[in-house]
Amino acid sequence: MIKFINVYKKFKEECIPLNNVDLSIAKGQVVVVCGPSGAGKSTLLRVIPRLEAIDRGEIIIDGLSVTNSRANLAKVRSEIGMVFQQFNLFPHKTAIQNIMLAPMKVRGLTRKQANKKAMALLERVGLVHKAGNYPSQLSGGEQQRIAIARSLAMEPGIMLFDEPTSALDPELIQEVLDVMISLAREGGMTMIVVSHEIGFAKKVADRVLFMDNGVILEDGSPHEVLISPKHQRARDFMSNVLHVRDDLREENATFLN
Amino acid sequence: MMVTGVKLTLLLLVTTTLISFFVGTVLAVMRVSSVKALRILGTLYVEICRNIPGLFWLLFFYFVFPELLPSEWGKALNTYEHYPVVAGILGLTVDNSSYVSDILRSGKLAIPDSQKEAAITLGLKPVQQWLYVMLPQMYRAVLPPLGTRMIHNFKNTSLCMAITATELTWATQQIESLTFRGIEATTIATVFYIIVSALMVAVVLGLEKYLKIDMTSITKSKA
Repeated sequence: MIKFINVYKKFKEECIPLNNVDLSIAKGQVVVVCGPSGAGKSTLLRVIPRLEAIDRGEIIIDGLSVTNSRANLAKVRSEIGMVFQQFNLFPHKTAIQNIMLAPMKVRGLTRKQANKKAMALLERVGLVHKAGNYPSQLSGGEQQRIAIARSLAMEPGIMLFDEPTSALDPELIQEVLDVMISLAREGGMTMIVVSHEIGFAKKVADRVLFMDNGVILEDGSPHEVLISPKHQRARDFMSNVLHVRDDLREENATFLN
Repeated sequence: MMVTGVKLTLLLLVTTTLISFFVGTVLAVMRVSSVKALRILGTLYVEICRNIPGLFWLLFFYFVFPELLPSEWGKALNTYEHYPVVAGILGLTVDNSSYVSDILRSGKLAIPDSQKEAAITLGLKPVQQWLYVMLPQMYRAVLPPLGTRMIHNFKNTSLCMAITATELTWATQQIESLTFRGIEATTIATVFYIIVSALMVAVVLGLEKYLKIDMTSITKSKA
């Protein structure tokens, strides 16, 4: 369970990515966050493992406040996995070494145990044959799948995805989404996904948030938020950005089929 | 005499390279630390050490440093047979480590913050973040200038003749004053310096090739 209590974060004057946000996300929920650029979506994710400190309010994860306690923060961080827009694989390590690092150093697994676990995860993301490759030898989609496997290796209860497909070439997006969809369908893991992939939201999200100017404007089921949002701002956004892109993709799909 | 000189020069090379590599790393980490006191301390050290000629540091450790200590300790150092070597190692290390730290710091600046963020969210502790994620990338990024600096430091070992450390350059001077075979001795020493420097270049090039990684996967990031 993730709880935001009146969370406020300011970067500069007039740039307030989180303006007194109250939010509660139940264990196992799959939440998709969308909204225009600069709305505060990424910041909403980044304050959870405290990659950014907040200015006011409190964030509580599984009953532990991460706002003021370093001990809690360390505990919570090892339970959270995060997947970044730019993948952020360690370029000096091979795919499998990227996955094995944290289980060995943080969880204390032996090399053999970590290797076994990494191979299982590589299997799951369909990249066993790329185990020995360095990130620079992998496509963007492959890098992102390795990054997801790397996070899963820590068996996190919470997975945060910060625009995981935005930096990918269009033809590589689906392979990453497929991995995320299977994760969501498996259940049990809390997932917060900042993304404009409406197909993904429709398929597996329990809940969709729409953010604008540091405020959560819409909060409801995918149908409520994507199809019939209450606020004009959200309606404009959905029709301008999402539906157009979505329709295009579906058109392409039918065309290709 | 030449053989003794060669041995001591190699000893100075190995010890100062290793120590200044280690000290320089610690200083570089201090200088990019989030703790302000560490940053100030590190910067102070580097700016003081780097802005004073290396020869002065050798003279300082040889002549002045024993005087600053309690008198028994100072006397013990002054009468210690190998103190010139110790002073040489201290002086060269102080000089070299400040350069090493600055080179490494530039390596840190070349690595995007997102690498650290990935390490944080995997639950790695700060020391582990440095050891397994940041430092390996920093060393790779600065290998060429780091190698150049270490070769520079190797040549600086010749300054230790000024404090009577019996290294190679000192030996050539001795041979000159005892036998007037200065030109021969200096020629041999020159060839030796060239060969060792060339070997160091070869090692650096080999390491570059061996550790070569393509950083484009992390540097082509768009906002």
